Amino acid sequence: MIPLHLLFRYSIFASLCLSGIVNAGNSSVHKNEQSGLLTFTSEDDGFSIELIQLLPDFVHAVYAKHDFPQAEIDRINSYCVFGSIIKNTSQQQLAYRVSDWSYIDAQGKKYPVKTKTQWLQEWQKAGIKFSWTLLPDQGVFEVGDWQQGFTTIKLPKESHFDLIYRWTLDGVAHSGTFKDLSCAPEDIKQQ
Amino acid sequence: MPKIIFLIISLFSLSVQAAWEQPELGFKLSPLSKPVDAPNFVLNDMDEYEYDFSEYRGKVVLLNFWATWCPPCKREMPSMQRVYQNHQGDDFTVLAINQMEDGDRIFSFTGGLELRPTFNILLDPDSQVSQAYNVRGLPTTYLIDKKGKIRYRAVGGREFDHPEVEKIIQGLMNE
Repeated sequence: MIPLHLLFRYSIFASLCLSGIVNAGNSSVHKNEQSGLLTFTSEDDGFSIELIQLLPDFVHAVYAKHDFPQAEIDRINSYCVFGSIIKNTSQQQLAYRVSDWSYIDAQGKKYPVKTKTQWLQEWQKAGIKFSWTLLPDQGVFEVGDWQQGFTTIKLPKESHFDLIYRWTLDGVAHSGTFKDLSCAPEDIKQQ
Repeated sequence: MPKIIFLIISLFSLSVQAAWEQPELGFKLSPLSKPVDAPNFVLNDMDEYEYDFSEYRGKVVLLNFWATWCPPCKREMPSMQRVYQNHQGDDFTVLAINQMEDGDRIFSFTGGLELRPTFNILLDPDSQVSQAYNVRGLPTTYLIDKKGKIRYRAVGGREFDHPEVEKIIQGLMNE
């Protein structure tokens, strides 16, 4: 008798197998002793991803520095915001598109990850010209290339979710699942 | 009280910032299989002196796109200054194109670096030049040959005075 949670996990992997090579990845979690915030790291075939919990205060400081209207700062802060670092650790050309990524909330519902382009369209409507800080929508990474930026997940603070991310190595599709990621709390006192 | 809160937020922001600074800076530059013409541009520096990129023909140019808030940009900048200093008098220069920030912020930022840049820092106030170079994230750096062709690219921070990079620069200067 296979437990239900394993059945759920296997079904996700099975669906991913249809589109390319699937990786469980070597993932780890590091707790910053000073802040209590978590950094999630996963290393799959040639692709390394690191997600760092960010507090709303930090996100506020970043965008206030760039003269964002308060309403827009509040809006991005209504998302779960991570600092993300992605690296090509292979000896091949790597490509990714955030529009291929998705997340699964605690209720098992799957959603697409909001892209930088989607954010920029909204910011432009609000009269904001600034176009940096968010993880680029897509990238072609040669050997040794890496990139960083914010990744936003539309979930409340402290929510748990799984992230499904995809990339290609020399055109071959790969995917990985980051299990049980968690959003930062509202502030450091809750840790 | 507000000062204490601000201090706590600042210290905390620094600790978050520190976490962002962990990835090692590599030294690998990727050659373009088909070198393309580097788009021309005219930009001002912090003193509003105008620079026309076409006037750099005949020099190898390390063209770096950056911003003060970008941790790897800050980390790689001293190595850009060192490689710039190593090639004083050679057919080589470094141009750092800042994205959407003003001269005051850049001046204050460079003053805090371990090695203050003496290469030219140009302002790209609306990111038009970075768009022309198809820069998606910061930092991104191009190595442009004496004929104005983009020959190498690096996405993410690098140590530009690494011997392997120096070798590439020397090779391009010798062409």
